[in-house]
Amino acid sequence: MAISVKNYTNRFVSIAILIVMAVWAALFYAVIMDEVYDNIDDGLKNQKILIIREAYNNPKLIEESKEFGINQFVIKEVENLQEKVDQNTFSKEFIYMPYDEEEEPYRILRTGFYDPSGKPYQLEIRTSTVEEDDFLLNLAISLLVLYVVIVLSILVINHYILGRAWQPFKQILKNLSKYRFGKANSFVSVESPVLEFNDLNNHISQMIDQNEKVFDSQKRFLENAAHELQTPLAVSINKLELLLENSSLNEEDTVGIVEAKRSLQRMVSLNKSLLTLSRINNQQYAGYESVTINEVIANLLNDYEDLIIYKDIRLDLQQDGNFEVYANPDLMQILFSNLISNAIKYNLPAGELRVRIQSDAAIISNTSQEKALNPEYIFERFYKGSQDHNSNGLGLSIVQTILEKYPFLHIKYSYQNNMQVFEIKKV
Amino acid sequence: MKVLIVEDELALQQGIRDFLESEKFLVETASTYLEAIDKVMNYPYDCVLLDIMLPGGSGMDVLREMRENQVKSPVLILSAKDSVADKVAGLEIGADDYLAKPFHFAELLARLKSIIRRNAQDGEQLLQYKNVSLNPELREVKIDRNPLVLNRKEYDLFYYFMLRPNKLQEKSTLAETVWGDHADQADNLGFIYSQIKNLRKKLKTAGADCDLQAVYGIGYKLI
Repeated sequence: MAISVKNYTNRFVSIAILIVMAVWAALFYAVIMDEVYDNIDDGLKNQKILIIREAYNNPKLIEESKEFGINQFVIKEVENLQEKVDQNTFSKEFIYMPYDEEEEPYRILRTGFYDPSGKPYQLEIRTSTVEEDDFLLNLAISLLVLYVVIVLSILVINHYILGRAWQPFKQILKNLSKYRFGKANSFVSVESPVLEFNDLNNHISQMIDQNEKVFDSQKRFLENAAHELQTPLAVSINKLELLLENSSLNEEDTVGIVEAKRSLQRMVSLNKSLLTLSRINNQQYAGYESVTINEVIANLLNDYEDLIIYKDIRLDLQQDGNFEVYANPDLMQILFSNLISNAIKYNLPAGELRVRIQSDAAIISNTSQEKALNPEYIFERFYKGSQDHNSNGLGLSIVQTILEKYPFLHIKYSYQNNMQVFEIKKV
Repeated sequence: MKVLIVEDELALQQGIRDFLESEKFLVETASTYLEAIDKVMNYPYDCVLLDIMLPGGSGMDVLREMRENQVKSPVLILSAKDSVADKVAGLEIGADDYLAKPFHFAELLARLKSIIRRNAQDGEQLLQYKNVSLNPELREVKIDRNPLVLNRKEYDLFYYFMLRPNKLQEKSTLAETVWGDHADQADNLGFIYSQIKNLRKKLKTAGADCDLQAVYGIGYKLI
């Protein structure tokens, strides 16, 4: 699962800080303990010198120091000292301390000396030292607190600073999502103090401009091509009509001319559809008004009445509500004309045409020779279900293009109970 | 009937001219903006067929000039630009009708006749063929003196035949001009056949001397 860039860095930052602090804590502990023992040992060594000097001057001290008392040292007589009298050995021992009522760590210096009479003594000096486990625990707790505080601060700072820093990026994304192809102005560029975001912004703007230019010239090409074809088509058709007026033609020639004219006529209708498409795309149907789809459909069914009767199609019109949309009336007319004309054109002889109008939808269903159509392709330009030489393959593509202008209208195709069902729904 | 064709595409101009002359119109032509202005300002016409895109200017400007100078000749715009906005603009500055290219001559003739009829001073212009008469004003068909009841589409269909008796009317042209784009369908030829059959039956029952005759299966003519 993708996560936000803020949290993405947080994960690494918190792990990295944990590692750095652990290493730092280990080193810190070692250094501090080393320094502490060094200081304590220096103190013990100094005490040793003072004690031995005192013992020389005042032999009574030896007698009085057989046990640990207030003085934190003992002097014991020994038979014979180890070889090196002056050698200091340090150790750590746990000794009961009444104050704490438990065994506490002591640093102990053991050494030896000879009194003026040459008698060997052993000297043991002790001093309370750091409670390492407590120290370690305290260190760990304070480090943990520090760690939590640092990580939390980073999270908070990140949240605000990164949130602020990435603000232009978010805005760019938001504006991009509002962008509609064919409307260059629908992408609003975002000014930002961040170099990278400015770059991104500029590149997106350039890319959009480039695409729009290509799209525009394609649209213009389509419209110009369709326009330019009108005149030669008009000339050809009219010349053929004049030829047909000529009564001296034999049957064969007449049929030939009529067939040629019909082909031209198909080209005219193809051309008209292409022009309609390009006009819809070029915003030539701009006016908006409240359109009652019930009326549009009623008028269309009236226009198609003769054809419906001729094909012996059973028409079932059911109006459960008034379907009103705020749109261009001509486009709504074209939209439903295409759907209803298809429903008649591809119907079976003596088939059925069901039109159902609700307050938020119009559903047009018809029986047909075809089985379920592939909804992925039917709205594509020049897609034809079966080899249908009377269709120019643009009808549903025009429907689709119109609907793209009205995002609140959705079309849904389905195949139910052997009927092709097209539903236009307001959402 | 005097008609001016303003059209820069010479092949098209010639075609329209040949057709209208065969329909007994008196035809003059203009192929540029200046030529058009010159003619419409100096001569009265029963109708001006006006193309929009002309060398030297726009047909819309010709129309505007005419109306500003109180030239009353009716105007039928012929344009390759079949856009709603153009149509509305043309009608607003005083055109009588608008026909998109490419068009069928039959349709051109019907529009032309109806414009001329509407602008004619003496009103009633019956179309008469044999014992059948058609009054375009009242959309009324009479056989001898008895009215023949036709529905809307049957009347439209019959009107095309009455405009040009004895001339071949092609099925697809009829379908298109009477039923518009709606009849642009797979089975429009059979469809026309059934409509013609109904019309023939009505004519026959009413005792009309004329009949609709199928021609090679490509169309019909009124005989």
